[in-house]
Amino acid sequence: MAIKLPVHSSQAHDIPHAADYEAGFGEHFDFNEASTKAAGDERLKKSVNYAVLKQYIARQEQMRDLPNAEELRTLAGEIKQHALDHLDYYLEQLKENVEKRGGRVHFASNATEARQIIMKIARGAGCKRVIKSKSMVSEEIELAHHMEAAGLDVVETDLGEFIVQIDHDKPSHIVAPIVHKDRKSIATLFSKYFGTPYNEDAKAMTMQARKHLRGKFREADFGMTGGNFLVADTGQICVVENEGNARQSMTTPRVLVSLVGIEKVVPRLADLSVMLKLLARSATGQAMTIYTSIFGGTRGAGEKDGPEEFHLVLMDNGRSEILASEYRETLRCIRCGACLNACPIYRKIGGHAYGYVYSGPIGALITPLFQGLENYKDLPQASSLCGACYEACPVKINIPLHLINMRRDIVNSQLNGFWERVVYRMWAWGLKWPVLYKLIGEMQKIDLRRRAKGSGWVEKLPKVAAGWTQIRDMPAPAGRTFHQMWKKRKKGRA
Amino acid sequence: MSGGSNQPAGDVLERVRRALGRREGLKEAPIPPQLPEHIVRLVQSEIGLAELFARRAEENKMHVVGVRVEELVAKVGEYLREEECRRIALPKSGFLERLNVVKGLGAMGFEARVWTEMTLDELYEYDCGVTDVYAAVAETGSLVVRSSADHGRALSLVPAVYVAIVEPKNLLADLVDLFEKMGRDGGGGATIITGPSKTADIEMDLVVGVHGPGKVQVFMLK
Repeated sequence: MAIKLPVHSSQAHDIPHAADYEAGFGEHFDFNEASTKAAGDERLKKSVNYAVLKQYIARQEQMRDLPNAEELRTLAGEIKQHALDHLDYYLEQLKENVEKRGGRVHFASNATEARQIIMKIARGAGCKRVIKSKSMVSEEIELAHHMEAAGLDVVETDLGEFIVQIDHDKPSHIVAPIVHKDRKSIATLFSKYFGTPYNEDAKAMTMQARKHLRGKFREADFGMTGGNFLVADTGQICVVENEGNARQSMTTPRVLVSLVGIEKVVPRLADLSVMLKLLARSATGQAMTIYTSIFGGTRGAGEKDGPEEFHLVLMDNGRSEILASEYRETLRCIRCGACLNACPIYRKIGGHAYGYVYSGPIGALITPLFQGLENYKDLPQASSLCGACYEACPVKINIPLHLINMRRDIVNSQLNGFWERVVYRMWAWGLKWPVLYKLIGEMQKIDLRRRAKGSGWVEKLPKVAAGWTQIRDMPAPAGRTFHQMWKKRKKGRA
Repeated sequence: MSGGSNQPAGDVLERVRRALGRREGLKEAPIPPQLPEHIVRLVQSEIGLAELFARRAEENKMHVVGVRVEELVAKVGEYLREEECRRIALPKSGFLERLNVVKGLGAMGFEARVWTEMTLDELYEYDCGVTDVYAAVAETGSLVVRSSADHGRALSLVPAVYVAIVEPKNLLADLVDLFEKMGRDGGGGATIITGPSKTADIEMDLVVGVHGPGKVQVFMLK
């Protein structure tokens, strides 16, 4: 039985929902339009800001208490970089070791292949009831959606993802998928879905979901997980979580499939001690997540739980192209979401406005890499380059630097607009002629002072500059420029 | 650059190799960065591990009680009664047998059964799982369990209450020590448990007991 939904909730009540931005998804994505819309949504901003700041503060506190946090981050970055620089070797080693444990390894070039492989496994084993734990790669290929369409009963078992699923929504944060929803909208949704009275108590709603999902766990025959790390030298997968639903995926069903991006490899089991000390601290401000599972392969002789059949699907889907580019470092990302929480832009617009599964600073960077710069040319501009993301990143990806480089790519491939090019060319030309530059500056000054009418404040600017004075006044320029004052001062000294 | 779902099919490993500028595989194993102890290890001393473990475990909303061997069964029984648990599932374990846990709980009126005598589906009707552990990590206040034919994965996951019995010799200082131990012991899997199952998905409001046990009680043998 596939999950059927009575209503499309975004139409049913006025709450932030991915559908509000979906028109912009894909080829005709317009970030300006999407972000303007999101920034004007007070309810969205309130939900996102509250949740994200809470995680941000928790992270700050944890990192402050961590001795050698700097060195540890550097080391984590080096481990991941080393693994990427020798990815061919480690992938082969991983494959060999997973097979030694009785698991099967499949390589998928792209989303279609990954879905086909997984569907074939499910069909081959005669599985019908799928319990799926949260993973970003599965969002990337919209796996649950496709499996449902193929007639499988798929249930997202992470509470946040379950809510996303029954609302036909999309996650808006790498770690906390429903930061864009408040409890009232979830309570309305639950009341409709379960046909029970409205109750906005978080505990009551959580227990209602627990009861529903427990039945699903008990009868599932197909489990799905992602993977936070792949350990090459032991052939194991490491999954971290707080709820226990991923553990259910590894425990009850007779078939287990882990779908993981090829970039998740670390060389040794010992590397986990470095990565685990940073991941939860960066993500949710916990020293450790509640459950850290290190698994791989099939159940042993005489065992009554754990998978009889285990498959690891390693997906490329654009990663090898990033590996070949100057943006290789971005593949270090361990999807902790710390850069989202730290980003002043993300806090104002939430995740959906970025138009793809990966949002925030890391999304602004990797979405154009995955989906084509021409389709997402505004995303690299979705940053003030303040550097908060770099400071937060546990594997030290220099996000601001890469964003600048990507802006250069935009200019080089002439993806920026015609007028933008004209203006910058004129500016460059003006800078080459100091006399001209000064003259234009002088004219601007005179014009602005005239508009200020002696009050010292310009209240209204015309046309293209109107936005500047829409919600605040602009101070009028001083009578003499810094240049002029400097010159006079030097003269006075001589 | 056009990546994403448009990427053509083909040999992924071959493409990765090309992306790294290589024609063929590496002849020698690459050498990964060293893991200097002074950076990675957070707990330097072996002294006071039990106290550190207890403190961290409490911070993670577990309860830790120190008990003498001879009073263990009575204390566990007392706790189970308080939590109104009746059906108790345990692993088949020489350690628990020596301490007379299964029989002792049975004598106190609990329905105590070992994993080898039940099905996974039956476990869903149990109130509590009581197990020994593979290790306990003081740095994080974590319990570590490993599965086998005698010790099901589900014992520490499915029942709503989980009780762990920890011996002093299980205690490890740091995660570094755990991965060393796992390596020495032949590389099986493990689950690291650091508190009751929880979620904060709804407005960051913390709720325990979402899919796993909502209560985790640790009896630490003196």
